[in-house]
Amino acid sequence: MAETTQTKEQFEPRIIGFLCNWCTAAAADLAGTTRAQYPPNVHPIRVMCSGTVDPMYILKALLSGADAVMVGGCHPGDCHYVSGNYKARRKIAMLKQIFKSLGLDENRVWLRWISASEGPEFAKFMREITEETRKQGPSPLASDWTV
Amino acid sequence: MQEKQKAVLVIGAGVGGIRASLDLAESGHKVYLTDRSPGIGGALYQLDKWFPDNQCELCKLLPVFSRDECSQFCLRRDLMHPNIELMPYATVTRFSGEPGNFEATVNIKSRWVVEDKCTACDLCAQVCPIEVADEFERGQQKRKAIYVRNPQAIPNVYTIDREDCNQCGKCVEICPTKAVVLNMPDETRELSVGAVVVSVGSTEFDGKSMQQYGFGRYANVLSNIQLERQLASAGPTGGELKRPSDGKTPKKIAILQCVGSRDWERNYCSEVCCMYALKEAMMLRDRYPDADVTIFYMDIRAFGKDYYRFHLQAKEMGVKFARSRVSRIRENPKTKDLYLLARDESGKSIGDTYDMVVLSLAQCPSPYLNELSKTLGLATNEWGFIETPGFHLTHTSRPGVYVSGSASGPSDICETVIKASAAAGEAAGILAGTQSKAEEIKPAHDHKTITDEEAKIAIFICQCGNEISSVVDIDKTRDYVKKLKNVVLVDDMGFLCQTNELDRVKETVQKSGANRVIMAACAPYHYHRLFSKTLAEAGIGAAQWQLVNFREQLAWVHKESKILATRKAQKMVEMAVERLRTQEPLKTTSVKVTQSGLVIGGGISGMTSALELASRGYDVTLVEKTGELGGHSRNLFYDLSPLDPQTLVEDTIRKVQNNPHIKVMLNSELASITGHAGNFRSEIQTADSKTELVKHGAVIIASGAAEYQPTEHMFGRDQRVITQHELQKRLAEGKLGKPETVVMIQCVGSRNAAHSYCNRTCCSEAVANALKIKELSPETHVFVLNRDIMTYGFRERYFTKAREAGVLFHRFEQEKEPEVKTSEKAITITWPDPALPGSLEIDADLLVLSTGYVAEGNEKIAGMLSLPLTEDGFFKEVDVKFRPVDAVLDGIFITGLASAPRNLNERVLQAQAAAQRAANVLSRETLTSGMVVSEVDKRRCSACGLCVEACPFDARYLDADEHYAVVREELCQGCGACVAVCPNDAAKLRSQKDKQVFSMIEAVI
Amino acid sequence: MTKSAILEVKEGKTRQAVNSFLKDLFAKNVVEAMLVPLAHPSGTNVVQALISDPSHVDQADVFAPVMPVNSAKILQAMTRLTPVDRKTAIVIRPCEMRAVVELIKLKQIQPANLLFISIDCPGAYSTKDYPKFAAEKKTSDDFVKAGFRWAEDAQLRAGCQICEYPYPLTADITIGMLGLEPGQLLLIADTPRGEEALKTAGFTLETDSATAQKRQAALARFVPEVKERRKKFFEKTKEEIGGIEKLTQVFATCIKCQNCRAACPVCYCRECVFVSPTFELESEKYMRQAVKKGGIRMPADTLLFHLTRMNHMANSCVGCSACEEACPNDIPLLKIFQLTGAEVQELFDYVPGRNVEEPLPAAAFLEKEFQEMGEKK
Repeated sequence: MAETTQTKEQFEPRIIGFLCNWCTAAAADLAGTTRAQYPPNVHPIRVMCSGTVDPMYILKALLSGADAVMVGGCHPGDCHYVSGNYKARRKIAMLKQIFKSLGLDENRVWLRWISASEGPEFAKFMREITEETRKQGPSPLASDWTV
Repeated sequence: MQEKQKAVLVIGAGVGGIRASLDLAESGHKVYLTDRSPGIGGALYQLDKWFPDNQCELCKLLPVFSRDECSQFCLRRDLMHPNIELMPYATVTRFSGEPGNFEATVNIKSRWVVEDKCTACDLCAQVCPIEVADEFERGQQKRKAIYVRNPQAIPNVYTIDREDCNQCGKCVEICPTKAVVLNMPDETRELSVGAVVVSVGSTEFDGKSMQQYGFGRYANVLSNIQLERQLASAGPTGGELKRPSDGKTPKKIAILQCVGSRDWERNYCSEVCCMYALKEAMMLRDRYPDADVTIFYMDIRAFGKDYYRFHLQAKEMGVKFARSRVSRIRENPKTKDLYLLARDESGKSIGDTYDMVVLSLAQCPSPYLNELSKTLGLATNEWGFIETPGFHLTHTSRPGVYVSGSASGPSDICETVIKASAAAGEAAGILAGTQSKAEEIKPAHDHKTITDEEAKIAIFICQCGNEISSVVDIDKTRDYVKKLKNVVLVDDMGFLCQTNELDRVKETVQKSGANRVIMAACAPYHYHRLFSKTLAEAGIGAAQWQLVNFREQLAWVHKESKILATRKAQKMVEMAVERLRTQEPLKTTSVKVTQSGLVIGGGISGMTSALELASRGYDVTLVEKTGELGGHSRNLFYDLSPLDPQTLVEDTIRKVQNNPHIKVMLNSELASITGHAGNFRSEIQTADSKTELVKHGAVIIASGAAEYQPTEHMFGRDQRVITQHELQKRLAEGKLGKPETVVMIQCVGSRNAAHSYCNRTCCSEAVANALKIKELSPETHVFVLNRDIMTYGFRERYFTKAREAGVLFHRFEQEKEPEVKTSEKAITITWPDPALPGSLEIDADLLVLSTGYVAEGNEKIAGMLSLPLTEDGFFKEVDVKFRPVDAVLDGIFITGLASAPRNLNERVLQAQAAAQRAANVLSRETLTSGMVVSEVDKRRCSACGLCVEACPFDARYLDADEHYAVVREELCQGCGACVAVCPNDAAKLRSQKDKQVFSMIEAVI
Repeated sequence: MTKSAILEVKEGKTRQAVNSFLKDLFAKNVVEAMLVPLAHPSGTNVVQALISDPSHVDQADVFAPVMPVNSAKILQAMTRLTPVDRKTAIVIRPCEMRAVVELIKLKQIQPANLLFISIDCPGAYSTKDYPKFAAEKKTSDDFVKAGFRWAEDAQLRAGCQICEYPYPLTADITIGMLGLEPGQLLLIADTPRGEEALKTAGFTLETDSATAQKRQAALARFVPEVKERRKKFFEKTKEEIGGIEKLTQVFATCIKCQNCRAACPVCYCRECVFVSPTFELESEKYMRQAVKKGGIRMPADTLLFHLTRMNHMANSCVGCSACEEACPNDIPLLKIFQLTGAEVQELFDYVPGRNVEEPLPAAAFLEKEFQEMGEKK
């Protein structure tokens, strides 16, 4: 690995974030404009809508080594594409159920509604997901070569 | 005659101005959009959430077609349209000419900051020594003399407030791009325009002038905007409700209605406050479940579509309601708690102590409106709003100048948006003839397509002065990304946005032979278009470059962890590299548009829509199921205005009949309809049972509603019980005579379990009829039994007038409806009035029931077009606030009673708006798809139809043999719902293929 | 209200009775063709055959305890492009029937002209074990006589042992025997079409006959029993496979041959995403993964394959065990997929194959569901 982290002791989770273009990505920009500080563990992938996030993306990320995955979308009723967030919610509910059934850690999959004007909320959530994942420790899927 | 001008001047860039500008721009007109303030948005950006979902949805204002050329970003981030020239900080100083040829002089105030150079880095504000109250936050925090109005300001450029600046020069010194130039002169522009839309909005009532409430003196008395800002996540309290006196979370909150309205001085209803008070109360209850929230009100005027349900929802959520006008607030000087002196209807004291009081301040004319109306030569009404004479609510006293939004009277967003589209339609109508067909919007530059040659990626990293480089280790980042596959060149610049640097980018790209580019800089809305233009000049098309946000999503938020931030920077570029390496070409496709319209329904709405379209040069087929035009409005003889509805109706019928562009089909019905925006095919069943095929590009549904047939209160069993419509007819025909007592009962067949909506029209009708009775027979006693009187806006005047004329208004509660008994002698009405002890009993000669409209026959049309209906059976719009006349599928528009009950002039307005929205489609010769649309891998597609189900835009279907799915690219909005539901990657989104996403994921790990 | 007729069985010869009924369908021109399990001349298997010659019915062995292929798969192949052009009886097991309903929803089967006949199913053995059963000179009649013994017969396929719906949910005609005396059969018309067919075939239908009521009573007893059995089974399964360690152990022998998805009736894709260009990677991509993770199992993405497949089909999983049957390395796929299938289906209150009108969970959503998800805690 090219980089070592600041303190060897502290586990720095690697998190992948799928941010909806209309709301959560805009909130991420607003967090920047207002200089709301949060840890740099979440790597954003901008998608047009939370409803386009195929659960396979989430599985791929977790099995490839991500410690957590988040999907950020518009609040219910607020989707730019009418219903994408409802569809996303159902998909993620199902994926989480599969995880639960198989005894995998469903808490590494996150869904959060953050609207364009909620820059501080975005930063807050970034802190929350990083802290929680840090508490959970490295994902066993991430280090298991046999998956 | 002089040649008509093609441009339109829109004054005021709030929601109305933006809507009007986008409508005009979409139908091919050049727009100058000015605003007095340094940025656009008006009150929009002060509010986070709106009725009915208490969410944002602002993006829904954006155009559906040709989006790529406008904006693919949230409207809080930017407003882009090639036909719109934004002119913030500008005022009109001179105005002359006539419709079609106006000359306007516009003074563009200098910001003392060069727009092109400002990178919005905030260094200037940090050194500025002057602090003043922040107007945007309504004084709840401070800002500097050099500032941006709000964090998401458009344009995102700093401005020096000259009034506040002491010219110390610190900002000049620190500005890394030398953007600050003190005393930079203003600019003057001379604009030649064909029409003007005034949409300058309103301002809230000065709460300080009502001393009894202590606003401005008592710390914990807030205005509603101050509350909205507190609840805004990016607001002064970070979204937490706090008492200004001690920062504590208030437990007991009172919201006071009608502050600055419905009084002697301002005898109008501010129209919007009831809804926002409900919304605020619900947000408070939602956020603070323990909070005790009481709304003090006179009438809850929730009269709009689905507003009544919202009112009920608020009750369900535990919001308390007190029908009382608070007479005074007293502050406890120690605790800063507030004691409200109030009495309920019966006169009992309901005074109590609250932790916080919120005043619903009325909408008042903007303080600048007086000057503007003088400049433009517009008449204003007694309160200073722009006067709208006649039936058309967008007409001003000066032809060619139209008004939208609350500049002419209180309006909520929904009404403002409707007014704006209607005003845009009027303006476009003036320009018709010179330009009946839209100029196809040409991309600013040609996009090169990606060829098969191997990706050669050039990466440019912006340091943004020190903004990025102080957090991200540029050298380390450069070294890391240099080694990535396909990267041929990495360069970093001080300010990537400055002209000289961009010239360097262009030159470097051309020299290196790079065919893909990554710009690691700031949020896309700052310089996306500038970068795009520069790169296009270097031969790099839209699909070939990526913007990585190093500033807002990295440097500005990770100041404390530079090593990790640098790692993230590397990964973000690596992700972009991965996306670009596998990027396939993006292309657009077009379909021809049938440039004519179909209007279903020949009432006032349908006729108005048809005339509007015809005036723009489009052929229209108008289908009416009965044998005559006019619909319900034929039976309307009085309104709350001095105007005669029949003149309007007859005039409209004549115009329709004489218009060569309109084909009227009477006794005809829609038998079938297929197709989509731009191309519909309808079969019309005609009087002689033949079917006729009509091809059209848009359809306006104005199929009306039925009058409610009451079963209540002895109607139909006693001749003396009639409806308001019948009463009006009798009055008009002079057949009423001189009855001793007339009683009216409101809300018959509405606002109840069976019809859970307010009929909006009946209170006005009752007041109009009551006034007429008093005029014809002053001795007649008139009683109006009501639950809330919905004389919103300027209708309030007539409510007052009626009371002055001796009409008695009594209240009853929903649960205790008046009882009606009839005898030969009289009709006896008994009910408990909450204001009085016991029950009241009146003997009347005539009982008049205020009945409204119920949905009728909408299922059939809805079924044919797969459109949803509301619970009450009316057509549902795609967004009740921002797209109130658009059906959920594009190219279909809804107006009139088929949408919801409305008063006559509002129906005319809405019909104009629907026509303008339809014209946006019809004005294009072709509909062009966006570049990022979905596609189908036919070979892999199993034709299971899941993607067809998932598509919210009907942009997918299975081919005739059902062997694979097909995309209607012009309808596809690129949301990717199909992608997520397709199990085997047969549905793909261009620029976000699974392979690209996988590569990006792996890049992070 | 059940409309049914008794099908007489002489001397315990169930097979003969059923076959004579099937023959009648040809004779009375109810159908012109039939998809029906025929005993393979080898004696080692009973396989589906599409027949037009009624004489083949003699080889039919509808209750033979073997199901080499889930017939939904066959019908998909037959009717995806065009519906059949003549009246055809489809004689299948309840789990096949349920898979058929799922595939109709997914537009993979065109049901026009098809008359669905299904059975009260006493279960089936693995195709590998069936020759053993046959060699012991056991007949399907013997098997039927023994009655419903899922709980006791550990030789039955895993899916059969915990089968929740051994009776058809949506067939036109059910050949019923649950709860009846050994050797007794009941022809139940579950749809107007089935009713029509039985009448044409010469049966007089009785409404809610005593025999039919007996069967209903047996069903009522059966439901709580099986629920309990499944609950215990799932609890045990969770212990066996729950958690990443155990899960990877279970899949240790997977060779990613993808036979499971090839055999799965509700894995309907023409070509799996795992053989699509998305998974066609350059060597550098494998190497990159290996470098980033230190090492990766090859062939790559084994668990991703199984979890993704689960995500695609769990809602429609009918528990037929075809996956497990197809696995060359005997991975206990049924229990894994039934466990997740059952729990996911419960989440959406969805029963695959229950009703052709019921939308697939993937094709629907409710505004008011999972409302706590996405909200701040």
